[in-house]
Amino acid sequence: MPAITLQNFSYAYNHPKKVLDNITLSIETGSFSVILGPSGAGKTTLCLAVAGAVPHYFGGSSAGKVYVTGIHTKESSMQQLSLTVGTVLQDYETQLVTMTVEEEVAFSLENMGIAPQEITHRVEEVLDKVGLTGYEKQAVTDLSGGQKQRLVLASVLATNPKILVLDEPTSALDPEGTHSLYKLLSDLNKEHGITILVVEHDIATVLPYADQFILLENGQLIFNGTPEKVLSYMAAKQIFTEAIPPLWQLKLMIEELTARQFASWHTEEEAIAQLSKVLEEEADKNA
Amino acid sequence: MQKIAPITKLALTIFVTIWSIVLQSLPALTALIVCQLILLAIAKVGSSVYKGIASLFAFAAILAGMQYAINSDLLLAAITASKMIAMTLVFFILLATTRMQDLSAALVLQCHIPYEYAFMLTAALRFIPDFLAESKAIQEAQACRGYSPQGNVLQRFFSYMAVIKPLVLKAVTKSETMALSLELRGFGSRKTRSFKNNVTLALQDYAMLLSMILLTSYLVMQIY
Amino acid sequence: MLELKNVYFSYKAQSHDIHDVSLRINPGEFLAIVGRNGSGKTTLTRLMMTLKKPTKGELFFQGNSLATATPARMAHHIGYVFQNPDRQIFHDTVAEEVAYGPKQIGCTSEQIKTFVSQALEVTGLSPLASAYPLSLSKGQKQRLTIASALAMQPKILILDEPTSGQDARERAQLLQLLLKLHQQGTTILLVTHDMEFLSSCAQRAIVMKKGQKVFDGTVTELFHDTNQLADWGLIEPAALKISRQLAAFQVSQTTSISELGDQVANRLRRNDDHAKNSTHH
Repeated sequence: MPAITLQNFSYAYNHPKKVLDNITLSIETGSFSVILGPSGAGKTTLCLAVAGAVPHYFGGSSAGKVYVTGIHTKESSMQQLSLTVGTVLQDYETQLVTMTVEEEVAFSLENMGIAPQEITHRVEEVLDKVGLTGYEKQAVTDLSGGQKQRLVLASVLATNPKILVLDEPTSALDPEGTHSLYKLLSDLNKEHGITILVVEHDIATVLPYADQFILLENGQLIFNGTPEKVLSYMAAKQIFTEAIPPLWQLKLMIEELTARQFASWHTEEEAIAQLSKVLEEEADKNA
Repeated sequence: MQKIAPITKLALTIFVTIWSIVLQSLPALTALIVCQLILLAIAKVGSSVYKGIASLFAFAAILAGMQYAINSDLLLAAITASKMIAMTLVFFILLATTRMQDLSAALVLQCHIPYEYAFMLTAALRFIPDFLAESKAIQEAQACRGYSPQGNVLQRFFSYMAVIKPLVLKAVTKSETMALSLELRGFGSRKTRSFKNNVTLALQDYAMLLSMILLTSYLVMQIY
Repeated sequence: MLELKNVYFSYKAQSHDIHDVSLRINPGEFLAIVGRNGSGKTTLTRLMMTLKKPTKGELFFQGNSLATATPARMAHHIGYVFQNPDRQIFHDTVAEEVAYGPKQIGCTSEQIKTFVSQALEVTGLSPLASAYPLSLSKGQKQRLTIASALAMQPKILILDEPTSGQDARERAQLLQLLLKLHQQGTTILLVTHDMEFLSSCAQRAIVMKKGQKVFDGTVTELFHDTNQLADWGLIEPAALKISRQLAAFQVSQTTSISELGDQVANRLRRNDDHAKNSTHH
């Protein structure tokens, strides 16, 4: 069973301006999916639809269905869904509502009515998972941007969600912070089987981890599939080409100029290995 | 102090406030202040609290000075300043030794205030620093566009709009985001909520409460 | 034009500290300040804008000390573009928003009119002059803040992480805008993490680490030493990393993807032609 399924889902905050337009999409359990598209494409709304905030919190008008681990979101409640889907909003700092790190994580668990002894144990466990052990008593306001982000992540992970949704989680991080956040998400994805759905502008940073790209524009699903397929499609159809990462610009350019085909490139190392190989073969031929 | 239940400290806050109003002699008020300072010392609060207290004393001194300048009654000025210090100090004790979540737990479990209200109180305290930081950031952003309030009251008021408008807007978006995020974190079902920390009363709490009631009754009887 | 002489700054939080930084910004430069979060990049630009005063050392603008200058008075010389447009937008139309700065610094109504229309023109916002600013897209809001700064006719434009949170299309438009402004003679100072962006526009780079200036040189020099880049928390542009690793195949170092693509394709094609020729023989 897919973790997330959208069936002909349309949504408008204010009728008739559709923000999502007839989207049919399925995200497999355990996948690491990235939503791409220019601003105003409906990326955030898609995240909120998976979390159930659309339509439960925002009202508006919707058509079609969204299923999360088989639950029809419209017929469930946000509270029920919060047990399955953990959401990190774009303005994640506002998601932090308590004074200290451990209180923040405990807050999520208290909302669920978990017993006090169990809470202490889980707080410890989840802070370890995100690398914030030792910060328990620290004031939330004293944390750095990256640490705050990890704390929000910890507070949603505390309830053991099967799906994690993150809306532009790296916009306030530096390159090292970005890399370590995606490394962490990838570990959660691989080791704990958590399905990850993230909105990211910089495709290069998610290329090593993602297994599905979802391209939106003007509320419509333009294309989805493996990163290779989506990037090739974007280049072939000249859609949102500015977003194609440098690595793939290079790959597509060389493929076009030389009529060769390379295997998929996720990292610069893979590119270097493949290019070295063909360049060496050519050198040998000439020798 | 940290071991005392929040509800007891809440009671202490109320009682000390009553005492500060009732007491009229300088030695008694001084004793009350000294007792509170001892409590703070026992509680081993951080240096930032002492800085706050230092500015409280400075402020009280200025107030006393002003009052003395007006009616040149030194004793009255000293008493007013002491009352202010005594009353404010107890809030320092409450806030420095009580975790906000415990305070809200006490309000909900023992005072039977709906959790949403108790939460709003603690969340408001949590967001005050954020709000101040935001206000500073906006002032700086506008300063870089030539904003510098001057002229008469009306002119100043209009130039403040450059700060107030974005600030209000930001506060509104922030509270909307917070409401959304609370829903997303499963907040709002009182039936299933639990509290991590124990806020029930222990022997020392009952002892403290009893002595506070006795002291208050004695003071009130003294007057009437 | 702008000069820092042995500037120190310290604050409660150590991450804001600046330790003995001297530098000079020359007219017409396109300069980038890079480094980790908390390395002091933004503190440095805030000192330039006199939003903060140095605890030691001095700053000069066109030879005059900035010891008593205020941000409001600097606004005429330096345009500062903050990351978050929502912290400054408060008018009902785009044109009024842009006119706020020139009004504050005492321009005549004739001047205001000219400056506003010029600023809207160059940022491509003229068609949106009477639009409601808060209904604009993220990228448009950013261009509005740039226009607001430009309308005060500054000589230097400082932009604090302008590419963060912007989508690829907005980012590409921003690049074109900055190149155009630079060409028209504006000195540009960029605080950024985006090495791809930097390598496609900036000429000079300053690296900050723990409040100290650890590098000041051309962008080409910046990318010279990979080990140092990692130490500074910087990421090499993809083209540079790949071209460096392909040096054994006579591929020369470049930060441009299209240059690298051409080089590699040429090697492969030349060899293809060569191979074809040899089979013909």
